[in-house]
Amino acid sequence: MININYLPVLSVMLCFLAAFFIEIFGSKIAGIRRFITLVATTAVLIMTGLMFKPIMLDGGIVAYWMGNWEPVNGYAIGIGYEVDALGFAFTVLVALTCWLSSVYALGYMNRDHHMAHYDTLFLMLEGSVLGLTMTGDIFNMFVMIEIMTFASVALTAFRAKQEGALEAAFKYLVIGSIGSSLNLLGIAMLYGECHTLNMAQLSALLYGGLTPTTAFAFGAILAGFAVKAYIVPFHTPAADAYAVAPASISMVFAGMVNKAGVYGLIRMVWIVFRAMDIKTIQILLVVFGTVTMFIGVTMALAQHEFKRLLAFHSISQIGYVVTAIGLGSALGLTGGIFHAVNHTLFKGLLFLCAGAVFYATGTTNLDKLGGLSKKMPKTTFCFLIGAAAISGLPPFNGFASKWIIYQAAYEKAVESNNFLFAIVTVAGLIVSVMTLASFIKVTQAVFFGQLHEEHKDVKEAPVSMRIPMYIMSALCLCGGLFYNVVNKFFLHPAVSTTVNVEAYINRMMGDGYAAQYGVTNIAVEPAQFSFWNPLVWLALFAVVFCAAAIVILTGKRTRGKVLTPVNADPKYATFFSGEQEEFSQVGGSDLFWGFKKNWAGYYRVMTGLHSGNVNDYATYTVIAVAIIVLCMFIFMR
Amino acid sequence: MFDWMNILWGLFYILVFPGALFTCCVGLFLAGIDRKVIAHMQKRIGPPIVQPTYDFFKLMGKETIVPARANKLVFLGAPILGFVSLALIMLFVPIFGFTAFSGDADLIVILYLITISGVALIAGGSASGSPYAGIGISREMVTMMSYELPFVLVLLAVAKKVGGASLVFSMDAVAAWQAENTCMAFQWSMIPAAIAFLLIIPAEVGMQPFDVAEAETEICEGPLIEYSGAALGVFKLNTAMKMCIMTGLFTSLFFGGIRTGYIWLDAIVFVAISAVVTLICITTVHAVTARLKIEHLFKFFWTIVSGLAGVSLVLVWLGL
Amino acid sequence: MIIVNYIASIMLVVLGLYAVCTQKNLIKVVLGLSIIDYGVNLLIVSFGFSEGGTAPIYSMADLLNGVASHHFVDPVPQALTLTSIVIGACVDAMALSLVVMIYRKYHSVNADDVRRLQG
Repeated sequence: MININYLPVLSVMLCFLAAFFIEIFGSKIAGIRRFITLVATTAVLIMTGLMFKPIMLDGGIVAYWMGNWEPVNGYAIGIGYEVDALGFAFTVLVALTCWLSSVYALGYMNRDHHMAHYDTLFLMLEGSVLGLTMTGDIFNMFVMIEIMTFASVALTAFRAKQEGALEAAFKYLVIGSIGSSLNLLGIAMLYGECHTLNMAQLSALLYGGLTPTTAFAFGAILAGFAVKAYIVPFHTPAADAYAVAPASISMVFAGMVNKAGVYGLIRMVWIVFRAMDIKTIQILLVVFGTVTMFIGVTMALAQHEFKRLLAFHSISQIGYVVTAIGLGSALGLTGGIFHAVNHTLFKGLLFLCAGAVFYATGTTNLDKLGGLSKKMPKTTFCFLIGAAAISGLPPFNGFASKWIIYQAAYEKAVESNNFLFAIVTVAGLIVSVMTLASFIKVTQAVFFGQLHEEHKDVKEAPVSMRIPMYIMSALCLCGGLFYNVVNKFFLHPAVSTTVNVEAYINRMMGDGYAAQYGVTNIAVEPAQFSFWNPLVWLALFAVVFCAAAIVILTGKRTRGKVLTPVNADPKYATFFSGEQEEFSQVGGSDLFWGFKKNWAGYYRVMTGLHSGNVNDYATYTVIAVAIIVLCMFIFMR
Repeated sequence: MFDWMNILWGLFYILVFPGALFTCCVGLFLAGIDRKVIAHMQKRIGPPIVQPTYDFFKLMGKETIVPARANKLVFLGAPILGFVSLALIMLFVPIFGFTAFSGDADLIVILYLITISGVALIAGGSASGSPYAGIGISREMVTMMSYELPFVLVLLAVAKKVGGASLVFSMDAVAAWQAENTCMAFQWSMIPAAIAFLLIIPAEVGMQPFDVAEAETEICEGPLIEYSGAALGVFKLNTAMKMCIMTGLFTSLFFGGIRTGYIWLDAIVFVAISAVVTLICITTVHAVTARLKIEHLFKFFWTIVSGLAGVSLVLVWLGL
Repeated sequence: MIIVNYIASIMLVVLGLYAVCTQKNLIKVVLGLSIIDYGVNLLIVSFGFSEGGTAPIYSMADLLNGVASHHFVDPVPQALTLTSIVIGACVDAMALSLVVMIYRKYHSVNADDVRRLQG
């Protein structure tokens, strides 16, 4: 049996090695390339699975010192890998997303050329995000972020012929580089103050409170990770990049690349700086999160392009996650991590559906699609599940996590008697309805309505593309039905290790190290939430059964005749009030004008702000960073 | 662990009282009263009170036609989905002292279940493939977005009034609080919220002046345009059930403190208050107003109605 | 004086940000990005500086005596800087290659022309 402590490093190395081998052996023969990619992603998934029991069930922490350079005299010198339950929760996301994406890409990318480069970059991306979630060294984290940005940019531009791909990649690179530089700046400051790069040691050293230097470092690192999580106003490159990247990559972006930013935020705010009790930080994160979810969803309502719309929803959902993290309570953190996990599942699913539509029809323009549900029933089914989940309809997983977030926000409001948090609750619920609205728009514009002439011969997506979609649909449903199991074995360990840093510090620095700095354990009860009980489920099925029975029994006379539309028989034609039938699909962008008309001023301003100019985007970034850093200084003391 | 008696009771709750059957009967009864009273307001005699019930059974016997352009599964599944979600709602609404199921998050579950019934209508209309339905679902969705904001504000105000950090979203707690103190409707700080809720009810049920989504004269009933037979019947039934649920929810939220101690007497009083609420906010409003335009509806709900609900929330927050 | 380094590095970062925010030419934007990087690198190296320190290598005499007769500068920041420079060079190469491809497609490197994705 392999030593469990080697697994983190092994899995990261495996990805990079496989990327290397693909470039050498796989550039000519597609079979070898596919084999190496699949083996690598599967192996990572298996290794992650092996770590599940010791970390999540036994509450252990997996740690490894590179080159066996253990701490000397209480100072960490080498690079350490340390996987606690929080890091592991995100590692699972990465491994799962990448595996599904690599399976999907088998079918989806089979019309593209230079696929060896694609797989190389893909594995580099996987390796870097894995490294980021598993490392215990803050500079190593920066390096991984840079590799991640690099691979993401290249993959965004992979279909260079697609409209806007190059430009999106360039904007992504500029904003991403500013974020990385900020991270590096913060790390340099921290090193200057604490003379260590190990996060466990930093956490112990910073336990006493923040000095002006570390406060500045905190601001810079916070802003750096906020850029990586693409919260408003750093979201502009994300919207572009997700829209033009291949769908298998968009899914990876939404599923794990922005989760890397979220992970960084949680790790920094909760563990390294332990700043969650500071009111400024709470309000900063909550305000940014709420603005993010609102602007994301309103911009999504105005989109004409399937994947760009999904991209804005992705931004909006990350807003929920950041808000939940910023509430500063264990319940909020539970909701935040749960929603991050769920977002990976349902947004990945939706991007895959968009990819299937693109694969079948060659377009993702909402105004040019329609009526695909008859040609692609299975994709439609998966899409409906994803749409219901992201809109937070029960019984899907989005409902469970959103509910925890509402509850946490409202509890916070009652507890602190701060009206801001009540507004956040309202905003969350309204954003949820708007999400629903824009998915109804997509459903109407793409899958229902009238079929266009040129899509007459459209075929369902191949099996290799559908399998990942089925798996994600199933997970979306399971997350909602068995939320208590998920909480017990997945969320609670993660939250508990996040709140208790003592074990995290001692595992790396030796027993008793944390106690020197006064770090003590705080017991965390598993978050209690119950909005369904099994009885209700039984009930639900009973009612479904009875309703169906009533319809079938009372409608008995016509049973059998119902489902046979005959083209010649005019009674099966659509009602056109006497006019001759003609093509009259209500296009996606024409829906909801009653809403948009009232908001015309808002939309004028917002579309003006999303100008597409890289200088403007950089300016928003700089202003927001300045605000974050200033908040640190003005309100911290 | 696996208690058969509990399961049987659960089934009874869901299927008969206060679930599917009770909701249907009360809903159809309220719809009948509505039609009768509005007829009298317009100096007509009007149909008998059981007319909606007759209509329903008649529709159930008619042929269901699925248009050639429609997605069969969604087109026929949507009415059933709506029915199921509506049948479940009453289980969470306390009939004064009695609640079939209670959890921590009743208010949000109810909010979402109502949303699902709206989604079912939209999905069905969308699946029919008719352009009239396309316009109808767009309006239905905008209507939903309109009333959702004040609805949430009212629910939050109630939750805050009841207070307590752990059980704020529980309907049971709301009822118990009212039994202990006075009814919500008699708290002066909650009166704006009550008015806002009364204005939400017709929009939720799709009655004039907020029936833009199903405007018969402009877009031929919008989402329902292609429906016929049993499927249409179920949708009509859903509207009636919504009437029962929304008025019942109002009764429970604002008059939840009345307790006679006998469940059947409770139920009768509950239905009676619901009927009065129906007469006030559905029938009277229907009789005296004309249909709004969709953009006016949106503005009305996001300014005046939300303002009323917001006033209540702020007052409650200030401890009044 | 080490304080000069700090001021210089912060000025470089600010200058770089200014270039990224105001320069319309995409190549200048890329240059701005690398200037930010250099500013940060300078800062890191300065953190490792120590007055009168020598290279962090033991001489034979030190090893025989068992004690170091002089103090070193901190080697870690130098390692960090090296890594960061390498990464920065990669990013610059990538960015410049993107600019070249953008020029081929859009026939312009002006940021105002490269904005087909908007709204």
